[in-house]
Amino acid sequence: MRNILAIARRELSAYFATPVGWLALSAFLLITGFFFAALVSLYSMQSAEQAFSPYGAPDMNLNEYLVAPFFGNTAIILLFIVPALTMRLFAEDRKTRALELLLTSPITTTEIVLGKFVGAMGFIAVMLACTLHYVGVLFYLGDPDVGVVASSYLAMFLLSGAFVSVGLVTSSFTENQVVSLVLGFGMLLLLWVLGWAESASTGLTAEVLGFASLINRMEDLTKGLIHTRDVAYYLSFISFFLFATHQRVEAFRWS
Amino acid sequence: MIRVEHLTKRYGATTAIEDVSFEVPKGQVVGFLGPNGAGKSTTMRILTGSLGATEGRATVDGRDVFTDAREVKRRIGYLPEVPPLYPNMVVRDYVAFAGQLKGVKDPVAAAERAIARVGLAQVGHRIIEHLSKGYRQRVGLAQALVHDPEVLILDEPNSGLDPAQRVEIRDLLHDLVEDKRTIILSTHVLADIEAICRRVIIINKGRIVAEDDIERLGGEQRTVTVAVARPGDAAIAAMRAVEGVSAVVDEGEGRLRLTTDGDRREHVANAAAPFGLLELSGRARLEEIYLRLTMGATP
Ligand SMILES: Nc1ncnc2c1ncn2[C@@H]1O[C@H](COP(=O)(O)OP(=O)(O)OP(=O)(O)O)[C@@H](O)[C@H]1O
Ligand SMILES: [Mg+2]
Repeated sequence: MRNILAIARRELSAYFATPVGWLALSAFLLITGFFFAALVSLYSMQSAEQAFSPYGAPDMNLNEYLVAPFFGNTAIILLFIVPALTMRLFAEDRKTRALELLLTSPITTTEIVLGKFVGAMGFIAVMLACTLHYVGVLFYLGDPDVGVVASSYLAMFLLSGAFVSVGLVTSSFTENQVVSLVLGFGMLLLLWVLGWAESASTGLTAEVLGFASLINRMEDLTKGLIHTRDVAYYLSFISFFLFATHQRVEAFRWS
Repeated sequence: MIRVEHLTKRYGATTAIEDVSFEVPKGQVVGFLGPNGAGKSTTMRILTGSLGATEGRATVDGRDVFTDAREVKRRIGYLPEVPPLYPNMVVRDYVAFAGQLKGVKDPVAAAERAIARVGLAQVGHRIIEHLSKGYRQRVGLAQALVHDPEVLILDEPNSGLDPAQRVEIRDLLHDLVEDKRTIILSTHVLADIEAICRRVIIINKGRIVAEDDIERLGGEQRTVTVAVARPGDAAIAAMRAVEGVSAVVDEGEGRLRLTTDGDRREHVANAAAPFGLLELSGRARLEEIYLRLTMGATP
């Protein structure tokens, strides 16, 4: 545990020691901020229209019209930003040979992999925490459901975990960070596209595709419905890719 | 203390080392020599747990490097051929991080000690990337020393350094030797080996070709080259007649290469004087033996 935290802390501070971390954070806040502002103005326009409509009192649900689409957008933004955060995790260590420090220290491969995973998740936690002031705005505007907001954050965190685990394994395949980025992003994009295909298909195909579609899985969560099977899905997805990374790092010793 | 038994490592079709066995007793400092690609780094990486072996076994302090890796790694300080640095980190933080990984109780204090030990106190606050190559090498050494290991494995600690920094690193290594640690040191600088190590292991094309005290290595055989102004059969005969000379080879242009038994330079000089002695040179002992064992040619 101590070793995991030591590696995680180093990874986390590495984000703040390089422009990549700051760039990712600014881009994330800028884009989510833009979407949030757009959604808020759309929402207030529509609810104002409804207020004056002859059909009666406004019944636009803040959760449905603002919270859910906002987190839906955030998920897509994460899909673009997380690969930039994970690209260096193993690629850089291999390139600089710093990996040899890890491999020759009295720590396990599991600790190395988990340390890097936790470090990247720590940075994502910081990113997500920076969006909390939007929630403040929501409470100012109306009366959002705390449960929905909380489970949406859980969804973002689980989804990010899945993205990070994919990025971790792809970054272990190369010394080149750009290649690592392209591989990681390509894989996430593929998984996303599989989700579209799922909506268009039926039966067994849909079931199989559904297993691969990370983003569709969080729909219920952003509505405030926490199902064990969804959480378990993300956790097993993450475990699978962490295990793959573990095998890959072990293989360095036997290459 | 360190025991290597029949280690073999293959990369696909290429064999990096084959049936390598040697032993390094506790507290001894051993020079690990061999030409490029001989398998020095491969052997060291297997000992430190960053590489697996195809066959064979190795133990440190009686513990197997493969099955008891954690315990072995605790005891070893390792400086790889390329120092395993995080260029964006501050020296102090990096060494403390290494200390944490090695399981040191107080990594910050241990890092300060290691940094002072390798003479980096003035640059402890600087970012590694901005340091000179010699200083980066020292950061690598500090990393290897941070947990005060019993065993040090140093892979070419002075490669690519300018002469002044090379001497500084050599002096540093000299100090480390006094600490009674078990050290395996690989380098291409034979003078450093002679200055620091009592024993050498010479590896060539993946196989150990010599393992002995420098004093005893290669018996008494030595080579002397003389250049004379008037070469010829008479000169060759005169050289052959010198006591202890077992062979004379005419290399042309007045140069004669003599194989002698022990240091016979003075006698050779006297005998060559009548033929107009221009030059006389004998290689440093270790260099001569090293070249003989690794070039495959016997003079
Ligand atoms: N990852 C690898 N894949 C394939 N072959 C390798 C690999 N690493 C090393 N080798 C080969 O193994 C042999 C031994 O290499 P090694 O690096 O151990 O030599 P060395 O004695 O350290 O040489 P140098 O003095 O150049 O550092 C070489 O022939 C090298 O080409
Ligand atoms: Mg080498």
